[in-house]
Amino acid sequence: MSGDPKNQAAEEDLRLPFDDEAGQGTGKRDLAGLVIAVALFGLAMVIVNDASGYPIRRSYAQFGPEIVPYLVAAGISVMAVITAIMAWRGAFEARDPLNLGALSWLVGGIVIEIFMLYGGTGFIAGSAVLFAFAARAFGQATLLLNLAIGAVLSTLLYLLFRYGLGLSLPAGPVERAIDLLLR
Amino acid sequence: MDTFILLFEGLATATQPSNLMFALLGVMLGTAVGVMPGIGPALTVALLLPVSLSFGATGSMIMFAGIYYGGMYGGAISSILLNTPGETASIMTALEGNRMAKRGRGGKALGAAAFGSFFGGMFATLGLAVVAPFMVMVALSFGTAEYFALMVLSFMTVSAAFGGSMSRGLTALFIGLTIGIVGTDKLTGQVRLAFGIPEMSDNISIAIVAVGLFAIGETMYLASQYVNHKEKAQAVSGSVWLNWGDFKRCIRPYIRGTGLGFLFGPLPTGGAEIPTFLSYTTEKRLAKGEARREFDEGLGAIEGVAGPEAANNASAAGTLIPLLTLGLPTSATAAMMLAGFQQYGLQPGPLLFTNNAELVWGLVASLFIANLMLLVLNVPFIGIWVKLLMIPRPWLYAGILCFATLGIVGAQGSPFALILLLGFGLIGFVMRRFGYPLAPALVGAILGPLAEEQLRRGLMINQGDWMFLIESRISLAIYTIALLSVFGPRLWALLRNATRRAGRTA
Repeated sequence: MSGDPKNQAAEEDLRLPFDDEAGQGTGKRDLAGLVIAVALFGLAMVIVNDASGYPIRRSYAQFGPEIVPYLVAAGISVMAVITAIMAWRGAFEARDPLNLGALSWLVGGIVIEIFMLYGGTGFIAGSAVLFAFAARAFGQATLLLNLAIGAVLSTLLYLLFRYGLGLSLPAGPVERAIDLLLR
Repeated sequence: MDTFILLFEGLATATQPSNLMFALLGVMLGTAVGVMPGIGPALTVALLLPVSLSFGATGSMIMFAGIYYGGMYGGAISSILLNTPGETASIMTALEGNRMAKRGRGGKALGAAAFGSFFGGMFATLGLAVVAPFMVMVALSFGTAEYFALMVLSFMTVSAAFGGSMSRGLTALFIGLTIGIVGTDKLTGQVRLAFGIPEMSDNISIAIVAVGLFAIGETMYLASQYVNHKEKAQAVSGSVWLNWGDFKRCIRPYIRGTGLGFLFGPLPTGGAEIPTFLSYTTEKRLAKGEARREFDEGLGAIEGVAGPEAANNASAAGTLIPLLTLGLPTSATAAMMLAGFQQYGLQPGPLLFTNNAELVWGLVASLFIANLMLLVLNVPFIGIWVKLLMIPRPWLYAGILCFATLGIVGAQGSPFALILLLGFGLIGFVMRRFGYPLAPALVGAILGPLAEEQLRRGLMINQGDWMFLIESRISLAIYTIALLSVFGPRLWALLRNATRRAGRTA
């Protein structure tokens, strides 16, 4: 007997999160999953390589800093093997198409902010650019308006945290001008 | 009755004007972020970790707890009006709540949710105050072996319960443990995994890990999806005040939900997901008459909102029991709060109750106040929070990113922290995209160094005999619970499938 199909569907919906694997796998070989497995192996190698370089200590109990890294590296290696098997058998769920354009705007915004902060333009300018790029990533194409809102918001944040909470934020020309005005 | 004396003293701490302000700030932030889809209380605490350093320990913990409770209230609003749960604890609320909203009973659903949150929060907080001192007495007898076992229990269950796939949970855990290794070893001074970068030879700040994984990674994940980020919310319809008839229908679900939440909250099974689920299915099964018809015909039953909402707030209080008495986080938000304690050099556990009694009881007392504040904020002033759903999503997320980078740059004082932040953001994004849960990584990064310290100290005391780990009966029992919580559900599923198959062929 196959039972009442409607009832069964309802039961499927209400599955406890840990009842089973997270969802239906694709059943296809998953290249990205294999890349993750390789990356995990690489991480394990890096940890082992690092831990094997620690000087040996002759203390009364030789339980040095290398024990846990070795244990963790072993664990990661096991997980890498399991990940590889999962990817090979297509156990990862189907993924939504990747909006690479949006992602690039977002990552680009953060990278530019990092460069600007290192370059000495100060927090407000860097943060405003990040705001504009991030909003663009979420589909708000009005870059100039985004930039204006970002500048206002960043200035408010700067004032609040610099003068309200005494946080030291990277200063550029704008920040120095504000500091001069308020002094 | 010592508890009540301590609680009374705590009330004096909690009602200091500055602490009242932190509680108010916390509950307002918590509700606000609970309302926003995609931002949960864990993320908010993460964002505030770096900037809260100037608030003082008591103030910031009161604020964090307020955010936790507030997030549970606010999550209901977006579940009911948008059908997009603000956080995982409100998934069950969305089922019946949104159906009610579509049929013009959104106000009732919101009211049932707010009063349920209040009921669950109040009684479970009372339970927390009563149970915590007993847990402290038990915990005082724990040695290194027991603490290590407890941490293993935490690792196993957090990996097994979050997200669904155990292998991915464990992978996330090991990534977290790796992050925990980076830096200078406490016992020997050996620098590990720093690759000669000075900023990394001091341990990586947990705030960078948390903000990177949860805030940056989550924002990247949301941006990477082809969805319209400009969806519309249902308007609030009808009064949010419950009449006597509604109240009579809600009271039993409230009591059952509170019980379930308080029972499951302290268990390391991942916070509110399981109790809210159980509460919903219980109400659905027990429904009679009018409620039965509403459940069956998809009209939206008030019981299905009341139970889970009481359960998720009760579980928030329950989660604080192991966090405060043992230092064990059982949900992502609790893990963030643990990181908050560590920022101030405080280690939650039995000693916290003796050394920092004022902080602990002030925190517990402030939870009662926070609940009262939240009831006021969520019933008469519900309209304000609904307005928040109108902020254009692109600017909202952009603002979150600016705030995240501000916190990290401000607290660390070097742009290098931002490079690390971007790195963790990318890791978080990849993990989200491939269905890896984030919480185990965070718990691993926070608890990993503590577990390592217990392990090596134990090994030194016992002259290298690994057997010390399983010599105590308490730690053996804890390992058994850990194994059961990981494999139990799977065995149960296998068993049920087998019986179902047998039933089908018969």
